[in-house]
Amino acid sequence: MNSKLRLFFIENAVVILFILLIAVAIPVSGLPRQFLMQEILMRLGRNSFLVIALLLPIMAGMGLNFGMVLGAMAGQIGLIFIMDWGIVGIPGVLLAMIISLPISIFLGWLCGSIMNMAKGREMVTGFILAFFMNGLYMMIVLYAMGTLIPIMNPEMLLSRGYGIRNVVGLDGVRQCIDNLIPLKIGGLKIPVFSYLIIAAVSCFIVWFRKTKIGQDMRAVGQDRAVADAAGIPVERTRIMAIVISTVLAGIGQVIFLQNLGTINTTASHEQIGMFSIAALLIGGASVTRASIPNVLIGVTLFHLLFLVSPMAGKNLIGSAMLGEYFRQFVSYGVIAMALVLYEWKRMTQEHEARAELRGGAAPAKGAKGGAA
Amino acid sequence: MISRSAFQRSCVVLGLLGLSAFLFYIGKGHTLLLDTNAVTLDGKELRSAETVEVSIDGKEPESMGRAERVMVTVAGPRHRVSIEVVSGGDKKVEGRLSIPTFMDTAVVSIPAILGEAPSRSWVTPFVPPPSEEAPAEKMQQQEETPGAPAPAPAKAPAAPNP
Repeated sequence: MNSKLRLFFIENAVVILFILLIAVAIPVSGLPRQFLMQEILMRLGRNSFLVIALLLPIMAGMGLNFGMVLGAMAGQIGLIFIMDWGIVGIPGVLLAMIISLPISIFLGWLCGSIMNMAKGREMVTGFILAFFMNGLYMMIVLYAMGTLIPIMNPEMLLSRGYGIRNVVGLDGVRQCIDNLIPLKIGGLKIPVFSYLIIAAVSCFIVWFRKTKIGQDMRAVGQDRAVADAAGIPVERTRIMAIVISTVLAGIGQVIFLQNLGTINTTASHEQIGMFSIAALLIGGASVTRASIPNVLIGVTLFHLLFLVSPMAGKNLIGSAMLGEYFRQFVSYGVIAMALVLYEWKRMTQEHEARAELRGGAAPAKGAKGGAA
Repeated sequence: MISRSAFQRSCVVLGLLGLSAFLFYIGKGHTLLLDTNAVTLDGKELRSAETVEVSIDGKEPESMGRAERVMVTVAGPRHRVSIEVVSGGDKKVEGRLSIPTFMDTAVVSIPAILGEAPSRSWVTPFVPPPSEEAPAEKMQQQEETPGAPAPAPAKAPAAPNP
């Protein structure tokens, strides 16, 4: 019983730590409960899809997909085009998602192919690849749009005549998904349609795990060599996991930005990877294991901390900035902690397996001796 | 012989292209300028009533006097317009507007709808008035080019990229 409890605490250390932190920070912040609940309901609808996009690469043993930023870039390009063409409402959002599809598929294929060349180091590869692609994205958005790629709306262009402005308003599509099915309960606005989309993608993930390709991904995630020996096309399966993740990230970014109502052309996509990964890890996921409940718990806890930490910092220390620095420290720190914990567990398991092998030899000897 | 998977993929791509075209068509946003200025059609001058209430697609009606323009934004090609004369009679006219997909800003003539003119004259493309340079800018240009026989020609407004 005692060892079970110990194991539970070790397995859920991050979640428990965050619940304790938030339990202290909420009363200190002094923020009204109604406000916190409304914000969390809104942020669950806004961010969950992006975090769900991380699940398949984890299942395929590729760790946390920092390359999801590539999908976010594709989503943003789709949104820039629909704003230029003046497509509004739900058709605009759907069109932005469709435009993002081929870009996401290409970038996902590229990312997956590169990750296949760097097996075992997928996370750092994805991280650096996102930096590299960010440069390419900047070149497209700040130079090619308005010169090589026609942009009809001069208000979206920089004063020099080419390149997209730093901030583009999404007035035509602002919160159109969230407000599609209006529902208010106890003064709280609930983005019903966003939740339905998240439910649909969650069902897709659950169904996908049971399909042939889903089973292949799990096999590849557990042991590449065994999967390869079993005839599973390992590299193709890994690429597929990254492509699906990138496509979901592109759609997720469209959902995320329609809720915000504005694109920061050069920066909206940059922190998406880090925030989504931090949220997933805070929800109790690890580099090798993640599920839908991890997503929902993580988004709730991470964004609660997001909301309360500046005010808690201001009330405790007199500076909201310190609270914000603390939140940043925690969100990046949790990623580092999760990676260290994963590596530590892996090394411990390897050490135990070696010890077991050595220990296994001794009883065998003894057994032999006994038989003699 | 085309393989089955290639055929299926082609169908998906074509389906997505078709869906994109449909979404573009039904989602294209337009700016409508509801205009109560008098218009002359076939030599006949049509004037708006003193005060009218104009509603597009059943939304909150806009109250308009004579020679006014009110801007509304709509999405899609077809819209229902309802005009109610508030002063000088109790007339109510309803009609259906059709906005060409690539017409970003359109002028909707309220007198033409009230006067029951043919529907093709209800909607006309908006032509922005030529931008006039401020006199101060003209003077500055003259100063910058001493000895020039005439001031530099007015700079054309920047055309949008193709």
